[in-house]
Amino acid sequence: MSEFAVFFLHGLAYAGLLFLVSAGLTLVFGMMNVLNFAHAAMYMLGAYFSYTLLQETGQFWLSLMVCPLLLFAIGALIERLLLRRVHVYGHVHELLLTFGLAYIITEVVKWTWGNYPLAVNIGGFLGETVELFGITYPIYRIFIFVCAIFVGAVMALILYKTRLGIILRASVNDGEMVNALGINVPLVFTGVFAFGAALSGFAGVIAGPLLSTYPGMAAEILIDAFVVIVVGGFGSLGGAVVASLLIGELQSFGVLLFPKLSIALVYLLMAAVLIIKPSGLFGEKQ
Amino acid sequence: MTTQKYTSYLFIAGLFLLGAVMPMVLKQYHLNMLTEIILFALFAVSYNLLLGYAGLLSFGHAMFFGMGAFTVAVSLIHIPGLSIWGAITLAVVMTTLVGFVTGGLLLRHKGSYFALLTLAFNSLFYAVATKWHSVTGGDDGLSVTRPDLDFGFAAISMGDLTNFYYFTLVIVGAVIVFCWYFTQTAMGQTVLMMRENEERMKFLGYNTNISRLILFTFTGTLAGLAGAFYTLHFQFCSQSAISVDMTTTVLLMTFVGGTGRFWGPMLGALVYVILQNYLSNITDRWPLFMGLIFVFMVLFIPGGLTQIIQSLKNLFSGKRGTGKPLAAKEG
Repeated sequence: MSEFAVFFLHGLAYAGLLFLVSAGLTLVFGMMNVLNFAHAAMYMLGAYFSYTLLQETGQFWLSLMVCPLLLFAIGALIERLLLRRVHVYGHVHELLLTFGLAYIITEVVKWTWGNYPLAVNIGGFLGETVELFGITYPIYRIFIFVCAIFVGAVMALILYKTRLGIILRASVNDGEMVNALGINVPLVFTGVFAFGAALSGFAGVIAGPLLSTYPGMAAEILIDAFVVIVVGGFGSLGGAVVASLLIGELQSFGVLLFPKLSIALVYLLMAAVLIIKPSGLFGEKQ
Repeated sequence: MTTQKYTSYLFIAGLFLLGAVMPMVLKQYHLNMLTEIILFALFAVSYNLLLGYAGLLSFGHAMFFGMGAFTVAVSLIHIPGLSIWGAITLAVVMTTLVGFVTGGLLLRHKGSYFALLTLAFNSLFYAVATKWHSVTGGDDGLSVTRPDLDFGFAAISMGDLTNFYYFTLVIVGAVIVFCWYFTQTAMGQTVLMMRENEERMKFLGYNTNISRLILFTFTGTLAGLAGAFYTLHFQFCSQSAISVDMTTTVLLMTFVGGTGRFWGPMLGALVYVILQNYLSNITDRWPLFMGLIFVFMVLFIPGGLTQIIQSLKNLFSGKRGTGKPLAAKEG
């Protein structure tokens, strides 16, 4: 029974991380129709920034604040200087651009920090364990899940309850009209992309202490995040929540129940969803 | 139109002639590279049929390439006495099947959705190739020996590089010419027009879904054939043949060469293989250069090398280029 609880909680923690990564991806995709292949590379960049900051200051909370801001700036620059220029050539060129960026970021990271895993120690009360349902469990994994709930709630509030959210959703539907109403739509899109990048940085800071920091971390989570978006439905925040939970638990219990098959389970889920509902669980019909 | 076709035939004959004299000119090392260029040219041509002609951006083309490569390796190891033709045929059959089944699932989506799904499927194949150690060799890969080319009355040793080069030149070259011929047929033209205006093609009574599935399966088979030659050429096959990096490689070849012309990707394969060979001797940071070339090309030369060639042509003939990526055209 306690084994079940441990794996369940492991699944929740991974689901939380997956949601944090895919939320930014799905936001940018849903709003700008740009599938950002560099998203996971930015996430890795966030993790490495956080590693360095922790080495220098030892302040986890500080890096949780600063790294997303750094990524926000990087994201804004990428959108402004690169992505916007290739928009006229269509989505193939946009995809290729972010793909090339992912390569560059990964190589720069290897160059700067080396091609080996770096362990991240956070210390403080987050590094301790807690008694839960009669088992000892690391607080940090619970913290990840709480973070995911927090980020999801804030995003939903902004998108559906504020004036900013109305502007965002309107810009997607009819950019010209919103522009004519005196709102700087290109700036809105820069903001959306930068916010997506900031989210990736936030996820990266969170991931560091859980998975350690290494150059392969981007490629590893990228595919899972893509599967989350496919299963949940493209551009759907609610879909990302449900799909993250499904895939997190599937990964966790897959290792416990079918150790040999575990790597294929996620893809089998994806294939099953595609056969039954090609647009994903919460996706609108294309 | 007829003169254009005539020029194309001359061009093809010239290329074969050039290929035929190469073993007398080149050293073994460079002949090795040329064999690699030819097989990657087929891979890139098949990719361009998807990207340039049908407008489908796939991040999973390596699953066919790798499938072909692994089928040859596994069958040569487990079926004693299998001929080189038998192994190639098996690879072609396997990739056709895989193309048909995955195509049925993947083609329900378009644009970025399609790109993302192909990536996920490629990852599934990669995961299987890595984990299924008893069959695929996992990280260690599989080593094979090229069987001789047996005609019944006479056998040609494939252990000799020059012989294998000629074999590759003839077979892969013929398949590439067939691809070119395909783009001239009604089916090839249908694909082009489908990309331009699918609604109209539907209205005219074409079943665009089936046309697309046929094209997808066809390009998968071609990539599988290229993969088969990849194993035969290197006499080795590892999971890198089926990795996302292999898709990136073909994507970059196609993109550098330019999707605007049928011959563009072949030029891209040539430039890529040569560049990679020399750059990897100089620096370990090859992927960084790859990324930089990618971003630079997307920003400044979205039409690839064919765009530059076209602009130069226009310059000399007094016309002005548009600076936009060219649409795929025949010839």
